[in-house]
Amino acid sequence: MTEPLPAREAPADPALRRAALLFAATLAAVAAGPFVLDAYTVNILIRALLYAVVALTVDVLWGYTGILTFGQSAFFGIGAYAAGLAFTHLGFSPGVAVLALVGGIAAAGLVGALVGWLAFGYGVTPIYVSVITLVLPIVVTQLLFSGGTFTGSSSGLSGFDTLDISIEAWFWLAGGACATLTFLAWIALRSDAGRLLVAIRENEGRCQYLGIDTARLKIGLMALSAAVAAVAGYLYAGFTDVIAPELAGFVFGTQIVIWVALGGRGTLIGPVVGAVVIEVVSAYLSGELPYVWNLVIGAVFVLVIVAAPGGAAAMVRRLWIWTGRGRARAGPGPAIEVVPAAGGGPLPDEALALEDVSRRFGSLAVLQGVSFRVRPGELLSLVGPNGAGKTTLMRCIADGTERSGGGVRIGGHAVGRGPPAECVAYGLGRKFQTANVFDGLTVAESLRVARARRETPSLWRRSATLRLPAAAARVVAATGLDERLADEVVHLSHGLKQALELAMVLALEPRVVLLDEPTAGLTKPERTLIGTILTDLVASERLCVVLVEHDLDFVRQISSRIIVLHQGRVALDGSVAEVVGSELVRSIYAGEPQALAEA
Amino acid sequence: MSRDAVLELAAVSSGYGAAIVVRGIDLAIGRGEIVALLGKNGMGKTTLLRTIMGYLRPAEGAIRLEGRAIAGLSPHRIARRAVAYAPQEAAIFQDLSVGENLRLALRRGGVYAEELTRVTEAFPFLRERGGQRAGSLSGGEQKMLLVARALMARPRIMLLDEITEGLQPSVIRRLAAVLRAERQDSGTAMLLVEQNVAFAREVADRYAVLRRGEIVDAGPVGAADAEGRIEAGLRI
Amino acid sequence: MTAQILDVLTTAAMLFIVCLGLQIVYGVMRIINFAHAAFLTIGGYSALVAAQLGLNPWLALPFAGLVGLVLGALVERLIVRPLYARPLDAILATWGLGIVIGQLVTIGFGREVQFVPSPVQGTVEVAGATYSLYRLLLVLGAGLLGLAVAALLSGTRFGLVTRAVIMNESLAEGLGINSGLVRFACFSVGAGLASLAGAAITPLSSVDPNMGVPWLVGAFMLVMVSGASLRSLALATLLLGGAQVLISAYASPVLGGLTIVVLAAVILRLRPKGLALD
Repeated sequence: MTEPLPAREAPADPALRRAALLFAATLAAVAAGPFVLDAYTVNILIRALLYAVVALTVDVLWGYTGILTFGQSAFFGIGAYAAGLAFTHLGFSPGVAVLALVGGIAAAGLVGALVGWLAFGYGVTPIYVSVITLVLPIVVTQLLFSGGTFTGSSSGLSGFDTLDISIEAWFWLAGGACATLTFLAWIALRSDAGRLLVAIRENEGRCQYLGIDTARLKIGLMALSAAVAAVAGYLYAGFTDVIAPELAGFVFGTQIVIWVALGGRGTLIGPVVGAVVIEVVSAYLSGELPYVWNLVIGAVFVLVIVAAPGGAAAMVRRLWIWTGRGRARAGPGPAIEVVPAAGGGPLPDEALALEDVSRRFGSLAVLQGVSFRVRPGELLSLVGPNGAGKTTLMRCIADGTERSGGGVRIGGHAVGRGPPAECVAYGLGRKFQTANVFDGLTVAESLRVARARRETPSLWRRSATLRLPAAAARVVAATGLDERLADEVVHLSHGLKQALELAMVLALEPRVVLLDEPTAGLTKPERTLIGTILTDLVASERLCVVLVEHDLDFVRQISSRIIVLHQGRVALDGSVAEVVGSELVRSIYAGEPQALAEA
Repeated sequence: MSRDAVLELAAVSSGYGAAIVVRGIDLAIGRGEIVALLGKNGMGKTTLLRTIMGYLRPAEGAIRLEGRAIAGLSPHRIARRAVAYAPQEAAIFQDLSVGENLRLALRRGGVYAEELTRVTEAFPFLRERGGQRAGSLSGGEQKMLLVARALMARPRIMLLDEITEGLQPSVIRRLAAVLRAERQDSGTAMLLVEQNVAFAREVADRYAVLRRGEIVDAGPVGAADAEGRIEAGLRI
Repeated sequence: MTAQILDVLTTAAMLFIVCLGLQIVYGVMRIINFAHAAFLTIGGYSALVAAQLGLNPWLALPFAGLVGLVLGALVERLIVRPLYARPLDAILATWGLGIVIGQLVTIGFGREVQFVPSPVQGTVEVAGATYSLYRLLLVLGAGLLGLAVAALLSGTRFGLVTRAVIMNESLAEGLGINSGLVRFACFSVGAGLASLAGAAITPLSSVDPNMGVPWLVGAFMLVMVSGASLRSLALATLLLGGAQVLISAYASPVLGGLTIVVLAAVILRLRPKGLALD
C-alpha cells in the first residue's frame, strides 16, 4: 500500500482493507510472476497488462461516467508513436525517453481535451461523443499512413533503440503500473469526488441544476484518461520495439470496448481481468484456431451485451450472493452534521425579478411579456390551465438559454444566456416535476453531490459525516430519509424520492427555490408534510419559493401570493383571497376562452 | 357490473412505476353510452385513459372490452379492437397530410373512400384539405381532424382527452353535435375526459368526478342535483 | 474535367447505395446498425456464390438482397429486438455480430481476396472522357434505388405506416399500428439493401471477409448528417463524396480519405441537425 490512510479518517472501512490486501497480493504475484511463468507467457502478459491499463480508462469513461468511446486506441497510439518517433529519429537516451514520455502525455491530453470540448459543449447531442471518438482514430491512423518514412507509413516503425531493461523488469513495470492504477482508480471513484462521475452518468441534467459544471469535469476526465492511455502506449512501444498504425485504429478501439464489456463495465477489476484473460487466451489459441477463437469472442460479446450487460463481474457477484456470501447490507449511514448557513450578507429586497420575459417556438408565442418581482419570504404559486405556459416559465427562470426575450434577475444578478449552472450560482434551486434524482447513488451520496458546489469533495476519501444546511437536514429528518442514508435511491418510494430531491435542492442553500408540482403522485400525509416544511422554510429562512401546482387546495393552504397564467400572460396577480374568489379564475378553469375578453 | 358493458374497469389502479396516480377505479360504459370524466389538471384523467389504451399496465384491477380482458395488451392490439383514442397532446402527425392522418386510422377491412365520405359529412372542411399538411391547420381544425380520425376507425368506443380545450364556443357546439350524431347513428360509446363542465353536461349521459386519482362522485348528468354535486367535486 | 464530374457523381452514387440500408434502420429505429459492414460483406459473397453457381451476374444483385433480407430478419428477432431501449448497447451488439459474421465468412470462404465478374465490361465515351460503364450504371442504379425507396415510403400503406412510426411511435401504436412489426420489416429491408449494396460495389473492387469495414464509419457519418431524409442523404453524399473526390485529386489521397468523417463531424458540431432538410 503506497498511501496508508490515517485511521482517524477511515475508522473501519472493511472494503478499503480488502482492496488494500488484494492490491498487496497482486503486487506480490507480479513480483513472483517472472520466476514461475515461462518466458512466452511473461512476454504476452506484459502486453496484456498494458492493454488492461487502456481498458481501465475506457471503464472509467464508459462504465462509470456513461461516455461510450471508440477512440481510446488513438491515445494509446499517440503514446506509442511518441516513443517510437523519438527513439527512431533522435536515438535513445534517458533525456529523450523522458522528453518523449512528457510529449506523448501532453499531446494525448491536449487531443483528449479537444475531443471533450467538441463533444461536451452545452446543447451538443449525447451521441456526438461516440461520433467524434469514431472519427479520431481514423484521423490519427490516416495521418500516420501519410507520414512517409517519418512515421513508417503502413508498416510502422521497428527496431529502434529502446529502454534496455530485462523482461522481468518490464513485467514488473507493466504489472505494477496496472495494479497501482487500478487501485488508485478504485479509491478515486469511491471517494466523494468519484461519485460525481456516477451522478453525471445517472442524471447529467440534475447535476447541472446542482450547479456542477459537468462539461468541464468530463473534458478533464477525457484528458486524464487520454494521458493514461498514452503512458500505456509509450510503454508498449518501448517493450515491443514495433509500432504500427493499427495501434491507433478504430478496430483496436472497439476491441478495448469488448474487453470492458466482457469483463464487466463499471467495476474496474472486471475490465482489467477481462483484457488480460482474453489477450492471454488469444495468444495461445489464435495460433491454432484463429478464426474460431475470434468467432467465440464475437459471439460471447453479443450474448453478454444482449443478455448480461453486467459482464463477467456481474455474474461472479451474482454467484457470490447466490452461495450465501453476499455482502452484508450497507451499514448505517453517515452522521448528519448541520453546517451554519453560508450567510451572504443582508438579504436583498428582491429575490427574483422577471421583466418582459417571452418564449417563442417558431411563430408560436408560449410566453409574452411576463413581468413580476418576488421578495424573500414569499411563497408564490403559479396556476393556470394546461398550456398556459407555467412549466415553460419555470424553464425560462432556471436556464438562461431558454428565453426568447426579456430579462431575469436572481438575487439581484442579471441572468445572461448562461446555462442552469449559472442560475444556480446566483442562488437558484430547481425541483422538477417527476422526482429527478440519482437512482444509482445512495441517499447520502446524492446529498453530497448536491453539496459539491459548496464544499469541494475529496478525491481520495469518503467522508464519515454528511454536512447539510439546516433546511435540508430538516427535510431529511422529517421525512425519515435519515434512516435510509445508506440505501440506494432506486429503492426509495416515490414520495421519498420527491423529498430527497427537495433536500438536494435545499442543500444548495438557495435563495430562490422553484418547485414544479411538488405534490404530484404523493399521498395525503406526504402532501401535508411537504406543505408544512415549505411554509416553515419560508417563514424561518426567508426563502423565496415559486411553485407550479395543479392541486388548488394545496396552493390555497400554503401560498402567500398567487399568479394566474393564461395563454402565456399574467392574467392575475394577488393574494390567495383575491385570486380564489375571482370570477376570472373560475371561468379560466371552466375552459371558456371568452372569459378573458369579458374580464 | 353490467355484463353488456362495452368497456368495464374493475378496481383499476395505475401510474408510473412506484407512483400510483389513479386508485381503485370502477367504471362501466354501455353500448351507445357517453360518460364524462371530470376533474382538474393533475388528477389522473389522462393516466386513466393511457391505462385503458395499454400504454400503462394497471398495477391492480381488470379492464374488459366487451367482456374480454385487455389489460396487458399493447396499444395497437387494443386499437384494433375498435377503440379510438384521441390524446390531448401531440395527437396528430403534424408533418403528414390531413388525408394521411385519416388514412392511418383506417382499420383492416375499412374502405378509405367510404369512411372518408362518412367523416367529411361531419366535417366538410376536411374534404378540400386532404393534401394539406396537418400541422398547418388551426388549433380548432386540428381538434376536428382528431375527432374525424377517431371516427375513421368505426370505433365501438372513443376515448377523447380534452377535445374542447382552447376551442371557441362555435367549434365546441359543432363537436357536440357530431358526437351526439355518431352515438345516434352507430351506437358508439364514448369516454370524454373534460374540464369543460358545460360541454360534458350537454353531450354525456353520466359523469364521474376524479379527484386525486379516485372517483369521488358519479351519477347521471340529468339528475336534479348533478350541477351542485359536480361543482362541489371540482371546487378548488 | 468531365472525368472529375463523373468521379464525383459515381462516388456519390456508391456512397448513396451503401448508406441507404443503414439510414432506413437509423431513421425508423434510432439504432445504428454496426453490422451494416458485415451485411455489405454478405452481399459481396452472395455475388461470389451467385457467380460460382453460374447465375447471370445481374441476378447476383437481387440474390444478394434476398440473402440480406432473410439474415436481417433473423438478426432482428434474436439480437436487435431486446436492445431497442438501449441504443448504445445496440451499436455494440451489432458490432459484435459483425465480428461473428466476418469470422464465419472467413471460415467458409477463406481469407484470400477474390474477384466477382462484372455484369458489364468496358468503357464508354462521355463528353470526351473514357469512363467505366459499370460505374456509370451505378449512378443510374442509385437513382432508381432512391426513387424506389422514396416510392415505397410515400406511395404505399407500408411507407405511410413507417413514416408514422418514425414521427411518433406511441401515437402510431394508438392507431392500431404494430410498431414492432414495422421495426422488424425495416431492419430486414435495411439489411437487404446493405447486402444488395455489397453486391453492387464488388465488381469495382474485390471480395474479402473485411470488405465492409472501410465503408462503415463513412456511411455512419453520412447517415448522422442526413437524419431520416432521403433527399438529405442524396445531398450529403454529393457534397461530402464530391469533396472527397476533389480533395483526393488536388490535395492528397490521405486527406481525401478523411474528408467525409471530418466534414461530417464539423457539420454535426456546428449544427446538430446536420444537413437534414425536413
